[in-house]
Amino acid sequence: MNRILRKLGWMAQRSRKEAELREELQFHLQEEAEQAEAAGLPAEQAKWAARRELGNVALLMEDTRATWGWTCLERLWQDLRYAARMLRKNPGFACAAVLSLALGIGANTAIFSLLNGVVFRPLPVADPQQLVQFTNTIPLWETGSSIARDLYAYPQLERFQAQSKTLSGIFGWTGLGRINVGSHGTSGIAQGNASSDNLFSVLGIRPQYGRFFSAGEDRAGASVAVISDRYWRNRFGADPSIIGGAITLNRVPFTVIGITPPEFSGIAVGSSPDIWVPLHALDLLKPDSKRWTDPLSSAWMQIAGRRRPAISRGLAQAELDVIHRQFLAQQLPISQFSGLETVQRFVYEGRLVLRPAASGMSSGLRDSYEFPLRLLMCVTGIVLLVACANIANLLLARASRRRREIAVRLALGAGRGRLARQFLTESMVLALIGGAVAVPMAWWGSLALVRMISTGGAPLPLAVDPDWRIFAFTGAVSLLTGILFGLAPAVRSTRADPGPVMQEGTRGGGRSSHLLDRTLVVAQVALSVVLVTGAGLFLRTLQKLWTVNVGYDRENVLMLSVDAKLAGYPSDRAGSVYREILRRLQVLPGVKSASASIVRPVDDEFNLLDKVNEIDGRSLPESDVIHVAWNATSPGYFSTVSTPVVSGRDFEPRDNETAPQVAIVSESLAKSAFPNQNPLGHRLGLATIVGVVKDSLYSGARDQPGPLLYYPLFQHGRDQEYGWGFVSFELRYSSLSNLPDEARREVASVDPNLPVFRTKTLVAQTEESLMEERLLATVSSFFGVLALVLACVGLYGLMAYAVARRTAEIGIRLALGARRDHVMWLVLRQTLWLTLAGIAAGVPLALGAAWYARSVLFGVSTADPLTIAVTVAILLSVAALAGYLPARRALRVDPMTALRYE
Amino acid sequence: MNIQPTSRLELLQGTLDLLILRTLLPGKTHGHAISKHIQRTSEDLLQVETGSLYPALHRLEARGWIAAEWELSEKGKRAKYYLLTTKGRKQLQAEQTKWETFSRAMGLVLNPLNQEEV
Repeated sequence: MNRILRKLGWMAQRSRKEAELREELQFHLQEEAEQAEAAGLPAEQAKWAARRELGNVALLMEDTRATWGWTCLERLWQDLRYAARMLRKNPGFACAAVLSLALGIGANTAIFSLLNGVVFRPLPVADPQQLVQFTNTIPLWETGSSIARDLYAYPQLERFQAQSKTLSGIFGWTGLGRINVGSHGTSGIAQGNASSDNLFSVLGIRPQYGRFFSAGEDRAGASVAVISDRYWRNRFGADPSIIGGAITLNRVPFTVIGITPPEFSGIAVGSSPDIWVPLHALDLLKPDSKRWTDPLSSAWMQIAGRRRPAISRGLAQAELDVIHRQFLAQQLPISQFSGLETVQRFVYEGRLVLRPAASGMSSGLRDSYEFPLRLLMCVTGIVLLVACANIANLLLARASRRRREIAVRLALGAGRGRLARQFLTESMVLALIGGAVAVPMAWWGSLALVRMISTGGAPLPLAVDPDWRIFAFTGAVSLLTGILFGLAPAVRSTRADPGPVMQEGTRGGGRSSHLLDRTLVVAQVALSVVLVTGAGLFLRTLQKLWTVNVGYDRENVLMLSVDAKLAGYPSDRAGSVYREILRRLQVLPGVKSASASIVRPVDDEFNLLDKVNEIDGRSLPESDVIHVAWNATSPGYFSTVSTPVVSGRDFEPRDNETAPQVAIVSESLAKSAFPNQNPLGHRLGLATIVGVVKDSLYSGARDQPGPLLYYPLFQHGRDQEYGWGFVSFELRYSSLSNLPDEARREVASVDPNLPVFRTKTLVAQTEESLMEERLLATVSSFFGVLALVLACVGLYGLMAYAVARRTAEIGIRLALGARRDHVMWLVLRQTLWLTLAGIAAGVPLALGAAWYARSVLFGVSTADPLTIAVTVAILLSVAALAGYLPARRALRVDPMTALRYE
Repeated sequence: MNIQPTSRLELLQGTLDLLILRTLLPGKTHGHAISKHIQRTSEDLLQVETGSLYPALHRLEARGWIAAEWELSEKGKRAKYYLLTTKGRKQLQAEQTKWETFSRAMGLVLNPLNQEEV
């Protein structure tokens, strides 16, 4: 650092130093001359002798300057000025190059920003690399592999906290989902989170105002709450006097004790809770008698901790794995599972694994988007390569126009390395300008992408603003790009042997240089094939997902959810509230039919799974148990969503709390439970089957048709453990216009405190469920087109240049009577060959890429013939276009002009 | 064309620095005088090329072994005078020891008989 500063200081004194050197040498000359004169030479001769003695002054000064130690900087400065001059002289080229680089680098930076936000960005806490999350593996029966889960029971947290010596702190937490936050008579829905009282202290963050939970505060009756900065600003207008104030959570009074700092938005990417409460506040919000004591069957919380500084993750994991398995081995024999083989195996083969959690705890957002974003990173990387090839070609073409100039400079004694460095500096300047333009573009782009993948109105809580990682990435990519596209032109154009070049005049160089240009164009075409094929496969996937038979009709259905429990209704009164809402919705103008259910079609929030282990009063052996997904629906549900009832009947109002239990099964369930029998009248558990409906896909288009069990909502709703949680209403409408508002008004007319949420059409809900696929299809199509344009420009440039060089030849051919279509073909043929070579190289690459992306494809094979055929056709058309324009120019050549040319 | 005396020696690589430092040991002086001093004291056997002298002076200055100041020469002209710094003095000592060891070793190898006779 000091040295650099000194150098910079010297730079400022440069002109003074220069003058001093001159004076010093002048003094030397005079001194020498005087001595010679004293020795007897005539004055004039003495002067000349001194001059001779001094030698080459320019060289001497150059050598001396070199010892001042700033030559490097000086040369760089010279090169930079030269580069700036060259770019100014050629603004068209400079703009085209900077624009395509900015697009390429910007695309990479934008996707990297997202990837950074979703995967890499560390939590804003002290020493995040010490954080680890507890997961455990469960051996899978059938495949021999295992899956990882991250849920634990409360006694396990206590055991870990008591016994671990390798972690300095261990905390547990669980999401509360929606909670109703009341303050000064108003109410609103917020996301809640419950955690052990050491969460904030283990993370090492300080409150913005007030305090966080103190040790021991997490105990029965705990009713304190910490509010997130965002919620504090949005709901409470950033009023610090809220500290110590009273709010209600689901109608239970709580005291606000602190506000989180603004940079902290939660411990898992994509979920940013508004309210934090101690774990034991769960007893006030969602009572569950087994929660604190059941050691095995109810694993409901996630656990994480902080390693002690000198302890490696492996060491900590070894210790905790022992604690984990000892706990299970103690609990199993005295539990209800003691006789079950699966559970035994779970204990003996399951392992505790510590996952690094520097960038946050496991997150659904990360799970769904990490791989698509990595794919898009490859896509944008390829786009940048195509852009590089393009600019390299432009530079090569320009360099071959400057062959004479370069030859002269080489002949005059310019060092080859020095010249090459000059060219490379120019490329670097281009790349860095491109990178600088790319940063704001990328920021804008990543914000647009976040908006695109955000569901439900509010943008995802995802940090994509540039941090040092993004700047480092952009800088590195820019430099690498500059080297990539600058190196070949720099090396090749300075390789020229001055002699022949000066003789040959302006005519172009030898064959080897063509090879490089052509290879670059072929590479562009090949990479475009990969991108266009990829875009094609993603588009086909999206299209297949939209056209797959889901078993219900998506059009003209509006859905909204209402939660009476959040408004404080006890289970026994919630049912009648929902009934009243449904009655009012059914008679709204514009509504053809309305129904209610627990799970809505394409539900993005939860599903209900169960096992059927008793048919007609007969218990099934463990191996024959049928795993089903279930739902509870009101009368009219099947007609509202247009799922045909195949036999029997839909639920009716008479299937109420007091009536005998009934159920409806899907065709799949009917087939597996009652093969070759009519299921009507049989019993599953306690419920008698009254109807069979067509299969429908329970959780969206990627689902497989499976056994589905329906219960009557108003008979079943309060019995399940969810105990009249929220209910989704489905409305089949004839015109949407302002139906959402009217529906909300109807709900409010029943009780204005009832929270209404997730109001959206079934089409919109489906769109949101296909967000990853849409992101992939949209972004890859956009970049596919961009790559095509770049490849087209590359081809066009190469052909235009080739035609220009062959002007004389074409002129002669035309003069000698060559047919115009032959000449046309002459040019087109070359374009087509290059394109075919590119396609031949690109298709295997595309197949490899598709195989890599196979997990996100749906209903289309990685080697989809249609996609490949269309890709080839598109590329050939683009090539024909790129070749046609120069070919037409070739035909316009006037033979006489052509011959006089040069 | 070349009218240099045949007996003149080429300077060995790296020895110019040592010669300059040694010349400056008695006191400060300017570039021309340094050149002349080396020539005179070596009985005209060593001649310092001006083309090497000034780069060498500036290099030594950049390294901090010598310092420079502008003063009036004995004839009343402004001249750049170089003087040895403490660092340069140490460097001179080290270099001189190294050189003496080297030249003794060379002598021993080249004239083993002389050694025995003495």
